[in-house]
Amino acid sequence: MGMRKKRITWLILKYILLSVVSFFTLLPMIWMISTSLEPDKGLESYSLIPKEITFSNYSEAWNYPKLYDEDVTLGTMFKNSVIVSSVITLLSLLFDSMAGYALARKNFPGRTLMFWLALSTLMVPFYVVVIPMYIITMKLGLLNTLTGLIVPFVSSGFGVFLFRQAFISIPLELEEAARIDGAGDFYIYWKIMLPLIKPTIATMAIFKILWSWNMFFWPLLVIQDYSKMPINLGLTMFRGQFVTRWGLLTAGMVIATIPIIVMFLVLQKWFIRGLTAGALKG
Amino acid sequence: MKKRMKKKLKDTVISYLFCFPAYSAFAVFIFIPIIWAFVLSFTDYSLLTFGESNFVGFDNYIRLFKDPVFLKSLLNTLYYSVLYVPTTLIIGFIFALMLNDDFPGRNFFRLAMFIPVIISMVVASIVWMLILSAHPTSLANRFLSLFGMPPQGWLSNPKLAMISVAVVMVWKSFGYKMLLYLAAMQNIPQELYEAAEIDGATGWKKTIHITIPLLKPTTFFLLVTSVIDSFQIFTPIYIMTGGGPGYATTTIVNYLYQKGFQEFEMGYASAISYILFLILLVLTFIQKKGFGKEELY
Repeated sequence: MGMRKKRITWLILKYILLSVVSFFTLLPMIWMISTSLEPDKGLESYSLIPKEITFSNYSEAWNYPKLYDEDVTLGTMFKNSVIVSSVITLLSLLFDSMAGYALARKNFPGRTLMFWLALSTLMVPFYVVVIPMYIITMKLGLLNTLTGLIVPFVSSGFGVFLFRQAFISIPLELEEAARIDGAGDFYIYWKIMLPLIKPTIATMAIFKILWSWNMFFWPLLVIQDYSKMPINLGLTMFRGQFVTRWGLLTAGMVIATIPIIVMFLVLQKWFIRGLTAGALKG
Repeated sequence: MKKRMKKKLKDTVISYLFCFPAYSAFAVFIFIPIIWAFVLSFTDYSLLTFGESNFVGFDNYIRLFKDPVFLKSLLNTLYYSVLYVPTTLIIGFIFALMLNDDFPGRNFFRLAMFIPVIISMVVASIVWMLILSAHPTSLANRFLSLFGMPPQGWLSNPKLAMISVAVVMVWKSFGYKMLLYLAAMQNIPQELYEAAEIDGATGWKKTIHITIPLLKPTTFFLLVTSVIDSFQIFTPIYIMTGGGPGYATTTIVNYLYQKGFQEFEMGYASAISYILFLILLVLTFIQKKGFGKEELY
């Protein structure tokens, strides 16, 4: 009986500890949301539970700043983020899987070298190449354009590696049967092989969307105009202007976070896979 | 025979076509830059002089080791790493232990600890900047006042600033360490625990003698990757403290950004980037050594 009692005490303690830690972990998010729902009061009285609820911060933030250009708002920046992260995701899925397919299934001179080249890119830290990357982007005339945000990231060694592993595990017979029926290489890759590795595609897609939506350093270097900024960069610009308008700033942050949270809640299983796949990267 | 040759040629051409888009991006944005950065680090290339550059030998590297701000940034980065890495690993491990067995509400707790991992670094940094503001009504200072303590300049006091940054980063990342530990714990055979129970081992003993030793590869992996990540910290510091007060929180990448993209001394900044590269290469090498291939793939 003593054992049982000890067990129950332990369980209660565990619940209390977990609840306290979860509360503190979620606190910044809770505070962000409640501040965004409160009418603007200056610095004085933001509380964890809003006394009055208003959505006016959201509509105002969505239409802000209009400081330099009537048409440039947080809404524009949200749209930029959607464009940049969807194009990066789609192109890198396509290019990485094409290269991965060739490396997995084709026998060609230089294949081993190509494979090691892809792996070697994982060893190169972003900050080490960023200066020449910037100069090259400048010389290509892509500074201050959305294209300049996209182009350097349309492929990744990690993606090539992951797709190669996925294609290698598919039985050869499927492909050979199609070849006997006279199917061409691109057809086989697109219509037969790709549909067989949907889990890898989903994992990579989530990894890429999350990464590109949240990226910051590169946009900070490349983009000057408000009209071209992704939302995360835009928020840091707002930070300076709304030092005293926390309601507006937090509403902007909630807007920037909603797509990620919604995606996470809907695709939880894939999310976890995408993030643990990232661990292979080391 | 001829047909075979022709097929081989065709296969080669097609393979390179398939590889072309991905590898041309690698060439332009990784392979050329990694060499170019090395070359730049021996020049005085600057965008202020419209990209004019002269070969200066090892001058940049010599200057770096006499540059008090750079040396400070190295020390700051190390200090941050020491604060951040053990804390995030230990907290991640403790909560993985607590959330490993099945009980009602487990998924909620896991979710709560995982949310900070997925939100953007920018949003996390701004929220925490507001929470940690020196103003007496900021959330952190109101919390202190519950215990009758005076308000603190969490990010503006040189003694506190880096600790605050480390706390924010632990908050942001321990859920990820927890996730990887949980994944590794799934692979520990249940029989081991059962056998230990027969031998009369209690909860703590099982943790110390079974769980911790078997999770060694995961711990090692997380340790090295966290150190590597910690050496590249930029965004939270850029947003929350701007490297200040003074240079109290300036790290290697913050200084690289300042030199390369605010003062446009790109030759000098490239030398910083190569020192960083060297540090990270050594760390990666340690990881590969300690790891063995099977764990990596």
